[in-house]
Amino acid sequence: MILALARASLVRQRARTLLAVVGVAISAAMLLDMVMLASGMRVSFGSLLLAQGFQIRLAPKGTLPFDTDATIPDASGIVQRLRARSDVIAVSPVLGAQLHVEHGTASVSAAALGTIAAVQGDYKLLEGELPAQDEEIAANDALLAAVGAHIGDTLRVAAGFDPQLRAYTGQRALRIVGRAHFIYLSAGERAMALPLATLQSMEGSSRTDRASLLMVRLRAGADVEAARAAIERDVRTVSAISTATAIEQVEQRLSYFRQLAFILGTVSLAVGFLLVTTLVTVSVNERLGEIAVLRAIGVRRVRIVEQILIEGSAIMLVGAFLGLGLGLVTARYLNSILAAFPGLPEAIDFFLFQPRDAWVALGLLAGCGILAGVYPAWRGASLPIAATLREEAVA
Amino acid sequence: MTAALLLIAALSVATQGIDSLPPRHSPRTVAIDERLAQDAGFRIGDTLVLAATPGGAGDTVIVSALVRRSRDPSEVAKGAYRIRVHLDALQPLVGYGDRVERFAVATRGAAGADSARRAIDEAAFGFRAYSSHEIAVESSTTFLVVSRFHRAIGVITIVASAVFLLCIMLLKVDERRRDVAALRLMGISARTIVRSVVLESALIATLGSVAGVGLGALVSAFVNWHYQRVYRTPLTFSLVTGEIVAIAVVLSLGLGLGAGWLAAQRLVRRPPLSLFGR
Amino acid sequence: MTGDEILVAARDLRRDYAMSAGVVHAVRGVTLDVRAREYVAIVGPSGCGKSTLLNLIGAIDAPSSGTLAIAGQRLDGLPDRDATLFRLRRIGFVFQRFYLMPVLTALENVELPMSEAGLGKTERRTRARELLAYVGLGERLHHRPTELSGGEQQRVAIARALANKPALLLADEPTGELDARTGEEMIALFERLNTDGTTIIVVTHDEDLARAAHRVVHMRDGLIVDDRRR
Ligand SMILES: Nc1ncnc2c1ncn2[C@@H]1O[C@H](COP(=O)(O)OP(=O)(O)O)[C@@H](O)[C@H]1O
Ligand SMILES: [Mg+2]
Repeated sequence: MILALARASLVRQRARTLLAVVGVAISAAMLLDMVMLASGMRVSFGSLLLAQGFQIRLAPKGTLPFDTDATIPDASGIVQRLRARSDVIAVSPVLGAQLHVEHGTASVSAAALGTIAAVQGDYKLLEGELPAQDEEIAANDALLAAVGAHIGDTLRVAAGFDPQLRAYTGQRALRIVGRAHFIYLSAGERAMALPLATLQSMEGSSRTDRASLLMVRLRAGADVEAARAAIERDVRTVSAISTATAIEQVEQRLSYFRQLAFILGTVSLAVGFLLVTTLVTVSVNERLGEIAVLRAIGVRRVRIVEQILIEGSAIMLVGAFLGLGLGLVTARYLNSILAAFPGLPEAIDFFLFQPRDAWVALGLLAGCGILAGVYPAWRGASLPIAATLREEAVA
Repeated sequence: MTAALLLIAALSVATQGIDSLPPRHSPRTVAIDERLAQDAGFRIGDTLVLAATPGGAGDTVIVSALVRRSRDPSEVAKGAYRIRVHLDALQPLVGYGDRVERFAVATRGAAGADSARRAIDEAAFGFRAYSSHEIAVESSTTFLVVSRFHRAIGVITIVASAVFLLCIMLLKVDERRRDVAALRLMGISARTIVRSVVLESALIATLGSVAGVGLGALVSAFVNWHYQRVYRTPLTFSLVTGEIVAIAVVLSLGLGLGAGWLAAQRLVRRPPLSLFGR
Repeated sequence: MTGDEILVAARDLRRDYAMSAGVVHAVRGVTLDVRAREYVAIVGPSGCGKSTLLNLIGAIDAPSSGTLAIAGQRLDGLPDRDATLFRLRRIGFVFQRFYLMPVLTALENVELPMSEAGLGKTERRTRARELLAYVGLGERLHHRPTELSGGEQQRVAIARALANKPALLLADEPTGELDARTGEEMIALFERLNTDGTTIIVVTHDEDLARAAHRVVHMRDGLIVDDRRR
């Protein structure tokens, strides 16, 4: 009966109930998006970092992986030292460089990763073989498309130019043996992988036995933080970064988005709350007489409170469900905008849907829906019956 | 750039006891990032040893100036410190010989820039000339993406506020249904009523947008203050321009007029007597 | 005059309203006993405190001082919870302006107090039908208040007031909004109710309605100035 009354009062003002639902849906969509934004980067970056099972990354002292052009000296010595540790099962040294691929009269530049194919964790082979032998490469689709090459072709690749000699330096003929997808590169970035030694020798003396990054995979169950600290103590030329720290550092840099998510999320919640409170308050004000009559014929206060809270929550919930759908659509759209972020791995999602997000958004909205009804419900439940009826009679 | 960045690594371990290059006549001067000065406690006049690699051979220099980062968007999120070193001092330090990474070329006017670029690209092997504009576009991609993102969010916000405004106006006219019914029975024309509702709504929207502009200016000031501190940069992050204010006011005025008109239709579409009922 | 027990016992009942312009003494010391099965009309000039007294008896307002007991239950100082439950189970209220729930049908309006009292769906539906038939509205069960005439609405309101078999039926100007003929029908209905055993207190300045009652209480300036049985 009380439910029927709550429903009836929503249906009675169809236009504005509908509008409020739409308003709440938009707020809810925004809220969901912001909840997704707040945690999406962390989660997708974390899973990206752990995708290949390397828990620790060693970068030149004081830098973040690939943040600068600095390199780590004595890479092979460090690899050996790390391998000797009982908790380490694999070490993957990586050297990054920019190479120039001859293409007709011009050249196409591409990111190059020098790795040891057997332990590398930077790319996934899609087709062909791993570039394990000297002068073999695996290229990604963007590079293959840019130079119109296929597996089996040979590319002329240079490490740089010498303006004085007017010639390429570190030039080699490299054979494409595989097609690969590079996990940490951004979409559309041209890239190739080649044996570490090949790249080091192409780059010349400045890169002899150097690596930009060393990735370390620990034995299952090993204490990551303890290993990290020990490595940093042991190898003075590197900063050892655990996945957690790396995520934290990325988050710090992109903290703007989390703060934005927090602020916009709060604002959307507040807007939804205001909308529903206003609506329910006005609707209760219009029905003060009815409520007084209900009270006069013996309807308990809790019933009045119930009715009003149901009204607010119903708007919120219906709006929220619509909003969750809408939110997923807008999140995809917003994500596609941010995907163009320069230098960000393709696989990073700013907006990542997790069921938990939907629950959080729904919970917040439901809480707000109930809160929105609190003031009008209190007003409705505590009104003086006789005086209200009298005023109603005068009006 | 590479070399300058290499120095970061060096500096973090640049303590006494590192071998210096054979001293030249007198120590050269360097200018350091004010953030570095702040973080490491360096002051003008301090003597430092710069080395290309941690523990490598270094060069003794004197801090002669502190520099603030330029308002370059591409540098905002970078944590690296910068040190300005005399070119001829840096080259031997990093073993670069007589090399540089880039030249900045000043030209006469925009046309001059184009012809100079073409000439350089044709003449020089291993060079590529870029216009400052190209570089600016390249380095501000991040901000273009962010501003595209902001625009999308802005559109959502506008839709939400339009719904909100319409809702408020509906509530307002519903509240006055009886009064309006009485007015109409008294012979006040529907047009007058629509006009007054629209006027009111426009007024609300205008007041709201004025308050919004004020709030926006405050928030913007806060955002700048906050992010300039977080990223330690003089870059302006949020700018409330006249154009933006105008767009905001015009937009909310438009929304206000629309919402008012729609809400007023509820009052004048129905026969006055039916407005009395609940 | 019957030998039934005292249902309403008011002693020196007062109700003051503190207004910004000063205190209004709406009821200024009313002592009144009403026995079960009585049919009492309270009359008097407008503003003399009739409605206020009725509201006190109906437990929708609380006295400033004095004592009030209905069917042995003290109402003065009763917490809201108990007062509400008391209204639900023991009091039936009929208002001048009917005050039906506009969104509910006639049947649902009558069912409402029974639903609140926890009666099962079929039980209350059956009883609501019986009650509406009793007040002469057996045909219009599914109409909403706006689709009913004033007289019909007041009948629904009376059926609603009787829903939980109240000990006492209170009516404030029940014919005030009705035309003379409908008013007469209402008077007849009240008489029938009383004959069937309902105790009724009605506030009115409708002479015919007052004449139908067995006892007429005259009020003036918040006091009872005359009380006679016929
Ligand atoms: N809620 C109230 N606030 C202030 N004054 C009231 C209130 N209710 C009644 N009164 C005053 O009390 C007096 C009695 O009112 P009421 O009982 O309604 O009279 P009646 O029903 O006899 O016409 C009047 O003077 C009225 O103005
Ligand atoms: Mg009265």
